[in-house]
Formats: sequence, C-alpha cells, structure tokens
Amino acid sequence: MPVNLVVNGEERAVAAPPLTPLADVLRDTFFLTGAKHVCGEGFCGACTVLVDGKPAVSCLTPVGLLEGSEIRTVELLADPSGDLSPLQAAMERHDAVQCGMCFPGILMSLTALFETDAAPSRDTVRTALAGNICRCTGYERIVEAALSVCQPEAAQ
Amino acid sequence: MNAPVIGADLARRDAGDKLRGRTRFTIDRAAAGMLHAAVRRADVASARIVSIDTAAARAMPGVRAVVTAEDAPGRYGVAIADHPLFAVDRIRFHGEPLAAVAADTFAQARAAADAIVVELEELPAAVTMAEALAPDAPEIHPGWADYEELFPGGKRAGNVAWEATVERGDTDAAFARDDVTVVESTFRVGRQNQTPLEPRACVASFEDGRFHIETSTQVPWAVRDTTAKLLGIAPSDVRVTVPAVGGGFGLKFEFAVEPFAALLARASGRPVRLVNTRRDEMQTALCRENAEIRIRSAVTDEGEIVGREAVVLMDCGAYGGETPFLTTMTAHTLGGNYRLGSVKLLSTAVYTNTAPTGAFRACNGTYNTFALERHTDEICAAIGMDPLEFRRRAVIGNRSLGSTGQVFEGDVLAPMLDRMAALKARTPSREADADGRLYGRATVVGTWFIFVGPSAATVNLNPDGRVTLVTSGVEIGSGSMMQALPQIVSDALGLQPADVTVRAADTDAAGYDVGIGGGRQTVSLGAASTAACAEVKKKILNIASDMLEADPGDLELADGHVSIAGIPDRKVSVAAVAARAQVSTGPISGNGAFTGPGTAAMPGCAAGHMIEALDLPVFAVHDCEVAVDPDTGHVEILSYAVVQDVGRAINPRAIFGQIQGGVVQGLGYALHEEITIDAQGRIRQQGFETYHVPLAPDVVPVEIDLYEGAPSIGPLGTKGAGEVPILNVAAAVACAVSNATGARVQQIPLTPPRVLGLIDGTEPAPDLSHIDPDWSANRLG
Repeated sequence: MPVNLVVNGEERAVAAPPLTPLADVLRDTFFLTGAKHVCGEGFCGACTVLVDGKPAVSCLTPVGLLEGSEIRTVELLADPSGDLSPLQAAMERHDAVQCGMCFPGILMSLTALFETDAAPSRDTVRTALAGNICRCTGYERIVEAALSVCQPEAAQ
Repeated sequence: MNAPVIGADLARRDAGDKLRGRTRFTIDRAAAGMLHAAVRRADVASARIVSIDTAAARAMPGVRAVVTAEDAPGRYGVAIADHPLFAVDRIRFHGEPLAAVAADTFAQARAAADAIVVELEELPAAVTMAEALAPDAPEIHPGWADYEELFPGGKRAGNVAWEATVERGDTDAAFARDDVTVVESTFRVGRQNQTPLEPRACVASFEDGRFHIETSTQVPWAVRDTTAKLLGIAPSDVRVTVPAVGGGFGLKFEFAVEPFAALLARASGRPVRLVNTRRDEMQTALCRENAEIRIRSAVTDEGEIVGREAVVLMDCGAYGGETPFLTTMTAHTLGGNYRLGSVKLLSTAVYTNTAPTGAFRACNGTYNTFALERHTDEICAAIGMDPLEFRRRAVIGNRSLGSTGQVFEGDVLAPMLDRMAALKARTPSREADADGRLYGRATVVGTWFIFVGPSAATVNLNPDGRVTLVTSGVEIGSGSMMQALPQIVSDALGLQPADVTVRAADTDAAGYDVGIGGGRQTVSLGAASTAACAEVKKKILNIASDMLEADPGDLELADGHVSIAGIPDRKVSVAAVAARAQVSTGPISGNGAFTGPGTAAMPGCAAGHMIEALDLPVFAVHDCEVAVDPDTGHVEILSYAVVQDVGRAINPRAIFGQIQGGVVQGLGYALHEEITIDAQGRIRQQGFETYHVPLAPDVVPVEIDLYEGAPSIGPLGTKGAGEVPILNVAAAVACAVSNATGARVQQIPLTPPRVLGLIDGTEPAPDLSHIDPDWSANRLG
C-alpha cells in the first residue's frame, strides 16, 4: 500500500516499505537532499523537517506512520527562483554559514519556533536549537541572525 | 573608487545554496548505475589472521564485487610506510578493515560484508601507552625495522614509532644552580573526535583506465597519491575532485574511504559510493591523540626560565599516519611561548593496539598548551609571582631564541597581553554571575604556526574581463576559498570579488597543493594566487600600454580599468584589454607558486623533526572566567575573550566566525569531549548519545580583538586564522578551574565527576610511572 503524503505542498505517494526512514524517502525518492543524514540516531538534528508543523528528525520517522501528513523541508523556505526567506537572508547577512551541513535542520527548527512564538527570547532561541549540532560556528551568530528576524531592534 | 576589498566583511558566495539546502555535498551525490559499498572490520584489537573466506559473501544477492588485501599491495604512511589498506596477516586494532563489498544496495553490501568468514587467532594486545612501553609488551609491528622510511631522521624501535628531540644548552647545569626553584608537573589528556557533520564519503568510478574519485577531503593530492600507492598504480591514473565539504577539522587530512571505493569500482565496472556511518566515524576517526606529559623547569625568583625538560608521549594507535609527523610540533608548542635558557624536549609517537590517531585543528598544540600553561601557573605559585606578571616578563619577544634556536622577529606576545588587559578593562567581569559558586579566571598564551608548504595557482583572464582562479583548494567551511582568496585576487587585479570565479578542486586541472589545513590556505594558496595575479597584471598592462599609448610603468589597474597615472580619464576597461589580447597575444593567464622558506634551527638542536623551525609563527592570548558548582562539579563558562595574531585580516567578520567556532570546539575538549578505550581496545563512544559535543545552550559569545601587524611572510602580511582559535582553550579553562577550586588540574576534560574529585581531593594524579623522571632515560638508545 503506498503512503500518501503532502511534501512541500505537493501530494505524493510513496511505495517504500513502511519502516523506511522519511529522510531516505525525501533524499532518495524525491531528491530533496537538503535534509542531511548525519548520525541516523536522532541526536544531531541535521535531518530535521516539519511533520504537520512540528520539527521531527526524519532519520527516525518511519514513512509508514505518515499517511496524510504534511511534510515541509528546507527546500520550501524560499522560492527556487526567488529571494531567500527573511530567516535565510538573515543567516547570509550575518555570515553565519560555514560548512553548511547543519543549516537545513537549523532553519526548520527555527521555522517551527517562529510559528509558535513570534518574538522568542535569546534563551528560547538557544533552547530551540538544542537538538541541532553545529560543529563549525559555535552557534552565537546563528542565534544573532535568528533574533534579528524576530527582534530587529534587540539585535542591533 | 570602489571600496577596498581587503579588510571588508564580505558575504560568502556559497551561503545562499547552503541555506536553500541545494548544495550537493559528497554524501548527496549519486551516479547512474551506482553501487553501494560496505567495509568488513575487525572486531578484536590484536590477532593473527588465519583465513578470510569471501565465497559465501560473493554469492549473496546484489553483490557485484568483493576486494581484500590481495587487491591492495601497497603500504601508506607520512613518515613510515607502515599502513596497509586491509590488515595483512595480523590485525592491529579493533575496526581495522579486512575486506570491502559493493552491491546494488547498501543493505546488501552490509549483509555480504558481515557474511565474510574470518578465522583468527587472538594475540595479546597493548591498548595503552604504558602497556606498549612495558618491557614485556607485545610487539605491535614485529617487522618495524623493514618498513620504508618516507622521511629520514627519526629514531624508531619496537613500539616507539617515532622519536623527535630538542637539545639546546646545558639543562643539567641549569637544574643544578642554587638560585633556582625546580617545578615538576605531569598531565594526561584523552582523545578528541573531530566530528565534522559530513562523514568521510566518496563516489569512485573507473573509466578509460583511470580512477575518478569525488570525495569529501581536505587533501585532494594526498588522496590521489595515497590511493595510487596502496593500489600499486601510477598517481597520474587517479583524478580527485572535491565538491563542498561538510566540515573537516583535520579528520579529512589523510586518505579515508577512497581506495576501497576505487578498488570496488575497478572490480565491478560501476561507480561505487562509500559513506561512513556515524558509528564508523566514531570507531575509526583519526582522533586528536591522547597524550602524557612530564615537564620540569628551573626558574629564578625573577621569573627567568633557565632550564626546561619535558617528555611528551603521543598515542599514534596501530599505525603512524600523521602522528610521527606531529611529534615535531612539541618543540614549538610545549617549547613555545617562553624564553628558555636551556631546553631538552622528547616527543615520542607510541604504537598501541587502538585505532590510528591523526590531525585535529591545532594538533598537538591544544594539549601541550594546556600542559605548558598549567605548569606555568604552578611555577608562579612556587616562586610567588603573579601569573600575568610572569608571562609579561617571560614571553618570547623580538630576537628571542625559540626552543630549536630559531630567532623570533618582533615583539608580539607582550603587546597582545596588553591588548587583552585593555579588552578585559572594557568588558565588565561576570564574577557576580558565579552567584555563590566558586569563581576563577585565567589569562593564558599560546604559540602556533602556519604549516606553509607548496601550493600552485593559475589565474585566467577571460574575454569578458573576469577571471577564473584554478587551484586545488577545497572549501571545508572556513571561507578561505569563498571569501579570502577571491578578495586577495580581486584586490591584486583591481576587480571585485564577484568577478573572480573559484574553480573547485580537481587534480587534473590544478597544480599540486599540500591541502587545506594547518591554517595554510590563505597564506600558501593566497601567495600562489598573488604571484599568478602579478603575471596577469603584467600582461594586462603591456596590452593596455599599446591601447593607451603609454609606458606600462605609468599605468594603474583599479576598478576594472587600466588608466594612466594622474590622467584618470585616459583609461580602458580590463574587458577591452582581454578582448584585445584575443587578437594580439592570445588569452591572458598567469601561474603562481609558493612554498615555505624552510627556516632553519640552530645546528644540532633538533633531531627527528620534519620542520626544524617556524616559518610563520602565530600567537594567541585567551582569557576565561568560570563558575564551578561545588555540589555538582559542573563548570560554567561565564566569559571568554581572545586576542589573536592574524597578521592582516582579509575579512575580519569571517575570522570572528572562525574564532567563535574554534573556541567552542575547545570548550568541548576542555569540559566534556573524550574518546575512551576499554581493555579490549574498543572505543566506548559510538555516537552522539555518548560523545557530547557543545550545543547551542552551552556556549557564550567570545569577545574578540584581532592583533594586526606582526611580521608575516603571507600575502599582504596575512596569517591563517582558522586553525589557532582552539589552541589555548583547554589551557584557559583548566587554569581558571584550578584558580576557582585551588586544585591542581592535571587532566582534561573537566567533567563534573572529575571536578568534584578535584574539590574533594579524591581525584587521583595521573600515573605516569612509565615516564622516567630522568629525561635521558626515556630516549631510545
């Protein structure tokens, strides 16, 4: 039985075995390689996507449990031929990106945060990122960039 | 006039696609008909191989190729060629490769690799350096004497893979003086896993008799040459290309998965993908080595260090790899920072039955700086001098002798200490935040260097007036290829950084390069690129001189135009010059090259060193405030500040990003990151659940002051800035925790149980009884 999903606004059917991790379906079937397979154990957050609005580690999310779910990935944040989203643009403007592997997950964690809390504090942003490992940046600039989107004055 | 590009905080060109999730790292690459590979690894630390039977595996579904030691006859090494691709006759570490399989799916490859029948006869193992150096230790490489030496001069014997020594002056006389205090300290540190998010990964194919390997590496040329050596083929039969790399930190400074995939591609006739799982990465990462250090110093009441002796044992694991090379660095890290009247240093790489270690950002420097700065504070306590005052008096300055006798140029560390004092003065102390916990603060210094070496660059001026920079440089995340180099090239040619296309690394297209690491890329690739630009500029001016009817010496190149000096209206665009070149000289290009000048040591001072002295020293001063919870042993970093010697900052904001990231990696090393090995030689940490790297809530913003203007052989006076930020962190944290608790910190990481033990007085001192207090007794005969 195929599983029916809405992926980035598009209805898709997946014929993969039900225990196939969502990350593999996104990457191997839909060629949405933004979500990264880094640890496969749900600790690093590089494969974070939104499942029905909530951040989920797609490496540990079996596709068989997702019938009818709405999946959003980093590829949805900006129009492919258009500008970066305000959050992405802030990351670029703050020169937050280094190797870049963690950003697809970090951006989705922050997207989920901003949908529930439009003006989070610095500590709330840091806590929201606790499940996303970044080995390059030391996090601060990512936090600054995120705050500049939701608290333009405070981040000056 | 356009704004200057040197010193400008320009954005990086790869950020947009990385933020869109569009960048295709090696792990995101796929080829039509691609197979998937898995490696069969040893599950014991030491054994004789009786037989390996692959017949059953070859018959399994989807299996297209199986390769073993018979397919890879060569041996690899940096100093000693001791390392076969697959274990031959003998297993030397838990996780050593025995065979590799390619199949239609990864699951099929994994199942077949597991089905290979391996018959073993277990042998005694030495999993610690103490065990490996014991008189009755099992010999890990019985054939060590017959290995090819790739670099001369290091003493070797049995389980001592390499020995490097420094001897300058008469330390016996110094320690015998009646006006000195003798201070002795011992230290031990564990391993740190580099943990880039992208694991080591590659896709290999075999076409027209040549291998093409697309890989996540810092060293495309080393991958090319090592793969060839292990497979017994010509290096020119290997082409290596490198897409964006998802972090390296030194882990990708040696070959990794490439030769396995290459063999399987040749055997199957299909492209083969080999990607390490996180578990593979934990088991086989070339970690920062565990080390044991005994150091003693003879110091006068005025703070003059008249004699210093030290022994540093570095665990290279089962094979040498980079670690024998890294013994060199002790001379400049533990032997750095301070003026020494006389000095003897012994730096030994020791074989153990454990996974090989390797390079990690500021390799060797992090733990030797920890040891040196803690030892320095113990000296200060013994002679009753303020630690900052001692450092002001004793640090290396203009005309000071380094440990190997090189003469340093310029006063750098002392003015940097002043800059740190000023930074502290304008940044309020966070002592109040300790809120009843134990408060400590420390300022420490560090010496590092840029590992220069050969680089090549070509700059092509295209008919549209823009240029293409062709090098073997790789963007691993630091921004050197995306920010620094295009800024340097555009500055040299009067263009904008956006006018510079940066060619991704391809060993078929660009000349030799040592690789991305050791802080070298902005210096070495920058210098080669600058030289290439000089040739391009000369050709541009020659053609423009015809067009403008002026002497080339009277011409200026700026803002995309060539103009006559003093007559700015008389100008032609670089694009017009490029178009003219098409019909006069043919297309314009320039080649540039660079290598280290090879600064010499004082004759007879250094033995077994691959670098005798520092071509390009770099200094750093760090300050840290901590609060230690006396009930839990938890250490909180209250503030962190860095003054870093950068020569000249090409892109200051990018350097700030390197410093913040490097300091945070150092905080992990200081506080909680440690790979430990059990009695059977197994690495205990198998993933992020048990190996804890710093997370967003753990960190503080680092206060930063860039120190510019110190002497440098780098282009525009620059020094590499990405390697050094991690150097002093463990030192700063350990000294601050020692000050907070009043305890003698001799080991890191400072986990809560260890810190509680320090507070309670129950934390045992490291047992270094295998290091003889008599320095000379530790040397090979």
